This record gives sequence, C-alpha cells and structure tokens, in this order.
Amino acid sequence: MQTVGEIMTKELLTVEPEDSVARVAELMERAKVGGLPVVEDGRLVGIITSRDIRRCHPNRLIADAMTREVVTVRPACSLWEAKDLLERHGIERLVAVEGDHPVGVVTKSALYAELGKHTDALTGLQQAEAFQRKALELLRDGKEIAIVFLDLDNFGAVDKELGHVEGDKVLCKVAKVLSSVVEEDSDHLFRYAGDEFAVVTVKPLEEARKLALRMVNAISEEEWPPGIKVAASAGVAGGRRASPRQGGLESYAVSDLINMASLASTKAKKEGRQVVVAGEIELREVDCARQCPETV
Amino acid sequence: MSSKAGSHSRGSEPLRKAEMTIRLSEFEIPPMQDALLVGKKAPIGPEAVRRMVDAVSPEQYEIIRIDHQVFEAAVLKRSLLKLLPEDKLLPILLEECERVADEQAVVKAQVNIVIQVNRAVDL
Repeated sequence: MQTVGEIMTKELLTVEPEDSVARVAELMERAKVGGLPVVEDGRLVGIITSRDIRRCHPNRLIADAMTREVVTVRPACSLWEAKDLLERHGIERLVAVEGDHPVGVVTKSALYAELGKHTDALTGLQQAEAFQRKALELLRDGKEIAIVFLDLDNFGAVDKELGHVEGDKVLCKVAKVLSSVVEEDSDHLFRYAGDEFAVVTVKPLEEARKLALRMVNAISEEEWPPGIKVAASAGVAGGRRASPRQGGLESYAVSDLINMASLASTKAKKEGRQVVVAGEIELREVDCARQCPETV
Repeated sequence: MSSKAGSHSRGSEPLRKAEMTIRLSEFEIPPMQDALLVGKKAPIGPEAVRRMVDAVSPEQYEIIRIDHQVFEAAVLKRSLLKLLPEDKLLPILLEECERVADEQAVVKAQVNIVIQVNRAVDL
C-alpha cells in the first residue's frame, strides 16, 4: 500500500518563530507554496499558511501568526489515512514527522492526484488497492466483513465481436447497475480489474450471498443493446471474528478472503451457477493502536 | 521679492535647507504601564510582547492569551494582580478598552487601585 513517505516533499523548506510575517510571505511567494512548517531547535512548533499570513500584520513575528496545532502524519501512513486526516480537519497540507522532527510535507493536491490514479476513469469506481484498504479499514473498526467477487461471463467475446468501445460502454453500464444494487451504508463497490467487480460489505455471510445474487440478477435482467448478452458469476467469502489474538495479520485475512471469493466466482462460472459461497475464515483481531494520525 | 531672491542662488539653482527639532524625554522602562491589551490584528503579537517584556522587565508582567472579539492577549503587571485578581480586573479592562480600540490597536492602560478597608476591633 502506498505511503505518505513515497509522495511527500522531502526537500523541506522551513521557517523559524522569530522570522517576520513579511519575510515569510515573500519566501512563500517565491517558493510558490501555501504553507511552511515552523521549526525551533529542529522541533516542529507550528505551521504558517497563506491564510494565517493574510489575516496578520506583516510586522508580526511568525510565532504570533502561525497555527500552533499542527496536524501531522507519519511517513509510513497510507495515502487513504492521510486523505481522511486532511478531510476531517479541513486542511490543505500535512506535515510528516519522525518523532518531533518534520521530514516532509504532503499537500492535498499531490495526495488527490496520487489517489486519482487508483480511481477507474471509465466507471468512476475505485480500484483494487482502494478495495483492500477499505476491507482493512472495516476490520480495524472491529467489523466482520464479507467479500463479493463478481466476474462478467465471456466478456472477452463482447470486446472481440463488438469492439472495445462497445465493451467499455457495457462496463460503464454494469458499474451503474451494480451501484444501484449495493446499499451505501453497508456495501462498498469497486472495479477490481478488467471485467471484475468486487464489493466489501459488513453484511453477514448469508446476507452477502443474497446481495451477490441480486447483483448477478440485476445484470442479467438489465436491457442491453441488441446482440449483447451480459451475465455474471459471483463468489462470496466471509470473515467470522475469532477470539482475540495477536494482531498484525489482518492484511493476510483480507488477501485470503479476496482469493476465496475470486476462486468461488471461477467455480460458479465453471459450474454454470450464479453464486458460489466459499465459506468463512477466522478474522484475526486487529491491533487497534493506530500509529498514523497524531497532532502535536 | 527678497524671499524669491533668497530661494534661488546662482540663477535657477534651488537652495535647500534642513531644519531640525529635537525632543528629549526618558524612555520608560518598561514602555508599557500597568496593562497592555493586544489587538488581534495589531502589528505586534503576544509572543513578541512576551519577548519584549521578558527582556526589559523580567518576571514583572503576566501575559494572558484571551478569547475575545477585539483583543488576543493582555499583559498585566503582576503587582496589580496581587491587589485585584485577574478574573475581576480583566473583564473591566476589556470592557473599557473595546470602547476605544479596534483589532489593529495595542492599548496601554494605567490602572490605579485603591483598596479601602474598614475594620472594627473589640475594645
């Protein structure tokens, strides 16, 4: 999973509390940045942003203009956790820190540009990495999850016979159909790859099986352009919470579930069934000591 | 006519003079008196005030950051706070100063406190 450390600005421009607002405003304009960490004796003590500068007299010290509550992030944090932090605090940048020491800055625009790469431009759905992240997030929140893996039947033939433009239209429509079936509160739909879609849901396994059936039926019942027949097969796998165990292995549980659901969808396709339930695996307790978000 | 002639010597070359006035007075140490209220958009902020006060009158003033619509900090002489507690003094100061100042201002205040005590003693 991509981390903040991979995309942050590492050549860090910082200012000191004794600097004047006028000097820092000039520096920010020259460097074309909207905010700078304020550092004293190597320690992060604040952040000065263009918003702070606008509302302060230029004669002031940075110590009297800066925002003292800095929302920081560790370089090892995932991009999605960083995005959550930015949105929760309504800010434009995060300072990456190792202990008290700033080591980089990640801006909202850089973060969104990177996250945009994980969104499928065709369907507007998020892709595989985001899917894994969501599953992990739900596990970390103490939820039991189930995964529905849906694969279109013989979709290669649509591309071959009608061309990729028509194939893309079909994929867009499938995404719309599936979006109308899933429930916003409990289900999260992703385009996993190619003609594969996946849902991670907090529904129990039996409910997830019913959801998979509704998804498959919705596709086959949809009106498709003449000459196109679209059908799908789905596999379902669920996670049952076990007694508390040592944490840290939750990502394996997610990978296992995805694999099980994917193999089950292949089995469904081979056997001409709509949905195959792979079963449940034990979910390991997640270590909830989340290390990323922190405020100094 | 003569002033016209005096302002120009050697044809059109102007004559320039400088007048100097000097006013001497003692620089007050500290430059503030009993209290200072720092406006939210004043050219000097609480941290700069703290540094100035620490330099010129160490340990004599208390700097209090406040949540107020006009001022963001108050600097109060500690000896005043021995006479009147902060929670009594500050609201009065704020109320009076906000009538005459805006966010851009730094207001200096002289505060005289007279305590009257009447005590009865059994004879």
